[in-house]
Amino acid sequence: MSHDNSSRSGGFGHRLTIAFTINGRGVTREIRPALRLIDLIRDDLGLKGTKPGCLEGECGACTVLVDGDAVNSCLYLAANIDGKSVTTIEGLSAGVDGPGLDPVQRAVVEHGAVQCGFCTSGMIMAIESFKRQCDTDGVVPNRERIKKSLEGNLCRCTGYKKIIDAVQSLFEQVQGADGAS
Amino acid sequence: MNFDLVSPTTTEDLLRAIDEHRGRRFRFGAGYTDLLLDLEEQQDNELTVINLARLNDPSFTSIVHDGGEMRIGALVTASRIIADRKLQSRYPVLCQAAGQHGSRQIRHTATVGGNLCTASPAGDMACALVALRARCDILPARGDARSLAVSDFFLGVRETDLKEDEVLRRVIIPTDDGEVKTHSDFIKIGKRRSMECAVVSIAYHIESDGDDTMTRAGIAIGSVAPTIKYARSACEYLVGKRLSSLGPSERDEFAAKVVEYASPISDIRASAWYREDVLFNMSKSILENH
Repeated sequence: MSHDNSSRSGGFGHRLTIAFTINGRGVTREIRPALRLIDLIRDDLGLKGTKPGCLEGECGACTVLVDGDAVNSCLYLAANIDGKSVTTIEGLSAGVDGPGLDPVQRAVVEHGAVQCGFCTSGMIMAIESFKRQCDTDGVVPNRERIKKSLEGNLCRCTGYKKIIDAVQSLFEQVQGADGAS
Repeated sequence: MNFDLVSPTTTEDLLRAIDEHRGRRFRFGAGYTDLLLDLEEQQDNELTVINLARLNDPSFTSIVHDGGEMRIGALVTASRIIADRKLQSRYPVLCQAAGQHGSRQIRHTATVGGNLCTASPAGDMACALVALRARCDILPARGDARSLAVSDFFLGVRETDLKEDEVLRRVIIPTDDGEVKTHSDFIKIGKRRSMECAVVSIAYHIESDGDDTMTRAGIAIGSVAPTIKYARSACEYLVGKRLSSLGPSERDEFAAKVVEYASPISDIRASAWYREDVLFNMSKSILENH
């Protein structure tokens, strides 16, 4: 973060310069100190896939990844992504092998785990982060653990069953690929 | 929401920033899960946030197990506490409390220091730290660090002993490396299972020797008084007894001792009598399920 001196106040009304990565692309922006990450993502970067829901950390609709960890972008200070990597729902469908659906998105589509769709992008980012952690730890989670991992994401349409089915299928595929039972 | 932001990266710069803001309105920001909601309401155009999130000093950011003590930096997140193997095996109650804190998204950013400095009577990690008789290590802008028990750190609802020119650096849990059997948990009763602020909570850490005799007991209760309370006489009651041979009347006696520390109020989430009854039953249950 560039300040004249990081320990000193730049004075009210001053702006900060932050450099970060958004969906794999490096960017630099000048921001207000009190700017929230969700407002940077939606209003400044124009990425509208991240949804504003409760704006108080309850619903999870605004979930994005910061250095791979799911966070509520409504409760995250934009200044603190300086030097970090942010992934939004748009970064998943860009795909590593070109445009297309990411495995989590595909599982959600295949299981009909979407109704109105408002919670979906946050839900998918939360699943993405949980899946990565399970893969790193070598864990195949049971349904209870999957439910626990999604406690910060509200869906008022589906009743959650199909969403949990979709998450479970991601781990069954992994097991199948490994030939493990 | 408007504020100025100062982002020190070294402790020296942090202390200088605190010193320079003496007598002016400033708040510390760490995980921001409470602070941004708080600041949303305010129309103060003169507020500065001293941003601790960019601080690069291991004494604030790491978990260290060093012989006689376990030191947890104030900026350590709930997720990191859950994942720490040393804490899992030695002080599982802290991991259990961190695991029930907020949601996965909140746990990735919320810090242990924030949970203490918010000084909510419903604090989750704070309740476990009181049960473990942890101490706060506090750094002033000028002069020497001081230390005090976490239970003495809380003065009232959202009120701590932290002076205007001080910052919480870390919490310290005294420890020994002896072989002990640990019986612990953090039980939180809320209106639902997830994302809930406790209506009543209890954190307990009980150590027994090879003979099943309890050698150390720490019990803390939350949301039943203006601050989290350490139930000292209930803890003392257990030490020297065998966990497996406690009868129903002893369990009742123990639970009554825990309830003595409660002075609950009726509010929007629960009535005082409900809180007291639930606390009594929870206290009994911790001696039944081991």
